[in-house]
Amino acid sequence: MLALLILLPIVFGLLIALAPSAQAKLIGVVGTFLQLGVFLIIALYQFDWSLGAMQQLKTTYPWLPQFGIELSMGVDSIAMLLLGLTAFLGPILVISSFSAVSTRPKTYYAWLLVLQGAMAGVFCARDAVLFYVFFEFTLVPLYMLISLYGSSNRKAAATKFFLYTFTGSLITLAGVVFLCWWNATQVAQGAYAGAGGWTFSFQALESLAMLSPDAGGMPAFVQTWVFAALIVGFAVKVPLFPFHTWLPLAHTEAPTAGSVVLAGVLLKLGTYGMYRFCLGMTPLGAIELAPVIAVLAIIGIVYAGLVCWVQRDVKKLVAYSSVSHLGFCVLGLFALNSIGLSGSVLYMINHGLSTGALFLLIGMVYERYHTRSMGELGGLAKRMPVWSSFMVFFAMASVGLPGLNGFVSEFMCLLGAFQSGAWTGTGSIAGTVGDLGPWFAAFAALGLIVTAIYILYMVGKVVWGELREPQGHSASSHDDHALPTDLNAREIGVLIPLAVACLFLGLYPTPVLRSLEAPTRAMAVRVESAREHLAVPPVDLATDEAADAPTGEPITLRTTNEGEGE
Amino acid sequence: MTSGLDMLTPLADLIGSGALAAPPAGEKAAGAVHGDIGAWVMAIPFLPLLGSLLCVLCAIFKVKSKLPAWITVAGLAGAFVAAFVMFQQTTGADGGSQWAVAKAFDWINFQWGSEGQALVANFSFYVDSLTCLWMLFVTGLATLIALYASEYMSHDKGPGYCRFFFAFNLFVFSMACLVMGDNLLLLFLGWEGVGLCSYLLIGYFYKKESAVAAAKKAFIMNRIGDLGLSLGVMLTFVHFGTLEYAQLFHDPEMFPKYLALAQAGDFASIPWQVELIPILLAVGAFGKSAQFPLYVWLPDAMEGPTPVSALIHAATMVTAGVYLVARFLPVFAANQAALGLVILIGAFTALLSATIAMRQYDIKRIMAYSTVSQLGYMFVGVAVLAPSGGAFHVFTHAFFKATLFLCCGAVMHGFAGQLDLRKLSGVMSMKGWLIVSLAMLVGCLNLAGVPFTAGYFSKDMILAESFVNGHAIAGWVLLITAGLTAYYTFRVFFRVFVGPTHAEPGEDLHPHEGESMEEAKANFHAHAPGWAINLVLGILLVGSILVAFLYPMHWADDMIATSTAGGIGAGDHTGTVLGMDPHKVMYYVSAVFGVTGILIAAFLHGPKGLWSLGIGNRSEAETSRADALVPKVGPVAHLAERKWLVDELYHATIAMPLRVIAHISHALDRLLVDGLVNLFGWLPRLFGRTIRPAQNGLLHSYAIRMVGGVGVVVLLVVLVTLL
Repeated sequence: MLALLILLPIVFGLLIALAPSAQAKLIGVVGTFLQLGVFLIIALYQFDWSLGAMQQLKTTYPWLPQFGIELSMGVDSIAMLLLGLTAFLGPILVISSFSAVSTRPKTYYAWLLVLQGAMAGVFCARDAVLFYVFFEFTLVPLYMLISLYGSSNRKAAATKFFLYTFTGSLITLAGVVFLCWWNATQVAQGAYAGAGGWTFSFQALESLAMLSPDAGGMPAFVQTWVFAALIVGFAVKVPLFPFHTWLPLAHTEAPTAGSVVLAGVLLKLGTYGMYRFCLGMTPLGAIELAPVIAVLAIIGIVYAGLVCWVQRDVKKLVAYSSVSHLGFCVLGLFALNSIGLSGSVLYMINHGLSTGALFLLIGMVYERYHTRSMGELGGLAKRMPVWSSFMVFFAMASVGLPGLNGFVSEFMCLLGAFQSGAWTGTGSIAGTVGDLGPWFAAFAALGLIVTAIYILYMVGKVVWGELREPQGHSASSHDDHALPTDLNAREIGVLIPLAVACLFLGLYPTPVLRSLEAPTRAMAVRVESAREHLAVPPVDLATDEAADAPTGEPITLRTTNEGEGE
Repeated sequence: MTSGLDMLTPLADLIGSGALAAPPAGEKAAGAVHGDIGAWVMAIPFLPLLGSLLCVLCAIFKVKSKLPAWITVAGLAGAFVAAFVMFQQTTGADGGSQWAVAKAFDWINFQWGSEGQALVANFSFYVDSLTCLWMLFVTGLATLIALYASEYMSHDKGPGYCRFFFAFNLFVFSMACLVMGDNLLLLFLGWEGVGLCSYLLIGYFYKKESAVAAAKKAFIMNRIGDLGLSLGVMLTFVHFGTLEYAQLFHDPEMFPKYLALAQAGDFASIPWQVELIPILLAVGAFGKSAQFPLYVWLPDAMEGPTPVSALIHAATMVTAGVYLVARFLPVFAANQAALGLVILIGAFTALLSATIAMRQYDIKRIMAYSTVSQLGYMFVGVAVLAPSGGAFHVFTHAFFKATLFLCCGAVMHGFAGQLDLRKLSGVMSMKGWLIVSLAMLVGCLNLAGVPFTAGYFSKDMILAESFVNGHAIAGWVLLITAGLTAYYTFRVFFRVFVGPTHAEPGEDLHPHEGESMEEAKANFHAHAPGWAINLVLGILLVGSILVAFLYPMHWADDMIATSTAGGIGAGDHTGTVLGMDPHKVMYYVSAVFGVTGILIAAFLHGPKGLWSLGIGNRSEAETSRADALVPKVGPVAHLAERKWLVDELYHATIAMPLRVIAHISHALDRLLVDGLVNLFGWLPRLFGRTIRPAQNGLLHSYAIRMVGGVGVVVLLVVLVTLL
């Protein structure tokens, strides 16, 4: 079934390429709806949500057995939720493009569907090579969408996007290969399934992460370096400050659906990768570097938020807001506790919905006015009341208004960071082991203010105020596609599901949170038990004679490491 | 196997709402509330929510009638009835603390620890007498003001009307969540929800740039407070492991434990986390209730339609901060510094905004500053551990301040937006304005604290307790402020409502066809209020008087005593005022201050004749005796008129620098952060440029280099093997 999620859109993409261009829209709609249907069947009838921490629907086919590479797939509830987001956005992407794309529709819809398949592949993969292949493959369709259907500076944007993310992921690949090399050469066979041989399966690499350094597992300093390598590619993808500069450019130049899918799902490949690889495979590295990553995330939240505030291009503003928002998401991840992790995963979904919707709304205005400049546009509440209502709604979702989706996840990310760390100490009931603390939450919470500042700045310019329209534009001369002044039924129909999802996740997130309890708790427990393998703390050293063994270990390892370098 | 369908079964809770959870064991039978009030409790938030949804439907179906207003009035009246039943059932005769929790449905319910720890924040409501006190005036006034607004907003029938009543209903829903929520997160939902409605309604006239800016300012200022509140919520959760009142207030290991420690004077045993919670909560309260330094948004919020100013920015929403402090008084009492902070800020804000109000000309703004000032009283009231005084002042203030605002609104409505007290005079003697003027008079008497009015009694409770509990400085500041309040209140009354008849239309004047602006001004006739406005003002007029009778009944004392704020009296303090028992002499002392203020107003602004007891001599609208006084006071009067330049100060020290930082960040982002990336991208190209001459296309050159390359590799291999 999982293979169907990946293959269906890709097959339909090929169909589009073969069919006459008049049929492109129809095939696209059918393809994405079928993907959504398959997802719903899996979610409702096949996936056992009560066992969310377990990999389910596992399928494995040999691929390149000589290297231990397998076509291995499986999902836990986190992957399921992100697959759900992908499948949910699919039809919206296709339908929202009907009027925006008039030239070469075949190429457009074909790539869009291929992208849907590739993204599903990333979330289904249970083999590092398979993951990597899909992860990189998503670049191609989006490169095509941006460079062929973007605005004026699209070529440069597409190239930068491609090269930047590609370079980043090469470093990640190096980290993955190192992990597998370690698994193949440094670990005794039989320590766990797949130990001591070449394999790229997540399961083996996750087991390796939990192996004590005494038994051949990676000691903390090695994990830290591997973590650093792994996170580069994902940090570029997220994007984490200071690796974010490709994003505003790519967003502004991308066609609407490109922006939606970029903000909606593609950025989440980065955070999902961090969860699977950085936390799952190098937990000691995550513990060591959590404060560093968290500081970068917090800088991103505040800094990108301030940068939003001085944008004139409304799309660029929303693009920078993604940098700011995903800072919360990364912060939640590196709280390394159950609440933070769940908040983070929920944030991935919520950000996809609300920011995706904002990009759709901006696209709708762009189709009518051919400008995104807040200097030329303003006071649209008078001209487009329906559009404005949706704009205010999704802006509030983005601000994190309680009752809408953003709040729950944002609060949980902050709360996770707040309760993480030794400060909670004695007498406290709800503290957890972790490496952040209230100061991290307090500084990140400045984002609450900054977000309000820039979102209301945007709403104040675009929605409220005196009506401002670009020169030479009149309501009657609205456009080649005969779009009405305000939204038409198709556009409203695209926005309604998003709005409903925002409300539902805002008022009743409990089912989703329930499904996240098990996997995030498992992850938190994993990280916590990996903590025992940290270099033995000085306190224990003084009291415990046996502590010599682990401290001796890194020295021998360093020599083998250097030998490898030559 | 649990399938995904089963995941959704908790949705059943949504449908079968209204179950009333019994208080957990440990709370004795006194915790039981009479009868099954679950359905009534649910009606209070969800009727307005239904109303707001119906208003959306009205907007979709392009309703052009007054239907949204009638939906709203009906829904809110229903909520008021429900609140009254809730009040009746909750406050029985048997005394003792009574409370109940009624759950609607799960909101956030996340099990996170291996030992069953959970983050639980449901849509469920905590009912005790404090809840009832607040919800009674919130729903009651909301109903009346919705009726008033049906007429006031009638010129906007259509989409604007729907939008107005949508936000109005949503506001009451949010306010109900804020006050009734049984956990801090639902309180936060209401807290931000009322902020959103306030934003939408201040910016109702969205074509006016000033309205848009004011709306934005209100939201952002509130968000600064919300930052403190949200950190306070987190700290509460991390320390106590729960956000639910049922546990926080009634588990003997939680608030009761620290309250007991504080009452025993053992502050050393209270951990810093618990001491920090009230300070963080107070920051939130100062934002929402417009206290220094976060008060500047409230006067600007007067850009909204006047019913909104009356309901949200005077009677209800701005008291949310006072509610927060009153509700969390057990944990505030555990930290003397937090109480001191609240007293300090409250008293300072009361004085500061009263001085500003004295020098404003816009009557609505005067009322706005007076609200800020009165909120200061309420904060002092709860923080000197006289929560019944604070809460009673909230209650009485809600009535008379709503009355005052609605009178200002009627004037504004009738005189084409005119609010300048120099351009209006003698409204009472105009035809059709009698009820408005009488209501205004009653409101002014209450605000000025004239003896035997409700405002007088509630203010007295705060003043007396300040002295009794040893906060004499705060008491004196508030006494002086009471004098100033009486002055500026009657300045408005004497200038606008009595005296020689004069009326200039305001800026909302639209000339008729073929009429110049001058002609329109000359032909201007005030538009006297219709039945809805008169009816509402009449009810409020009577209500504001009757509220005073609650004082001898000790209603507020009883209400507070049975709530979570009960039993937190300051003990056996015996502070004095002028060497006498404040409980006995405060009636006289405060009456002296109030009456003096009124007399000064009468002398400076009163017209000739009986209204000013013969000491006034104003004969025209524009000028008064006070004008001659201004130059003598010098820059102080001018600075007060300019609001002590606080807005300018904030702009210069916070807004501008932040904007500059934002610009610098943006420049850095393009030049430095992206510049480095681009530089990195250039390196391969640079490398390509330098070695490009090598690609000369000559076969023999390639051959030579190939041989050379192979040679180097061989050499390296040999060297490595040898070493």
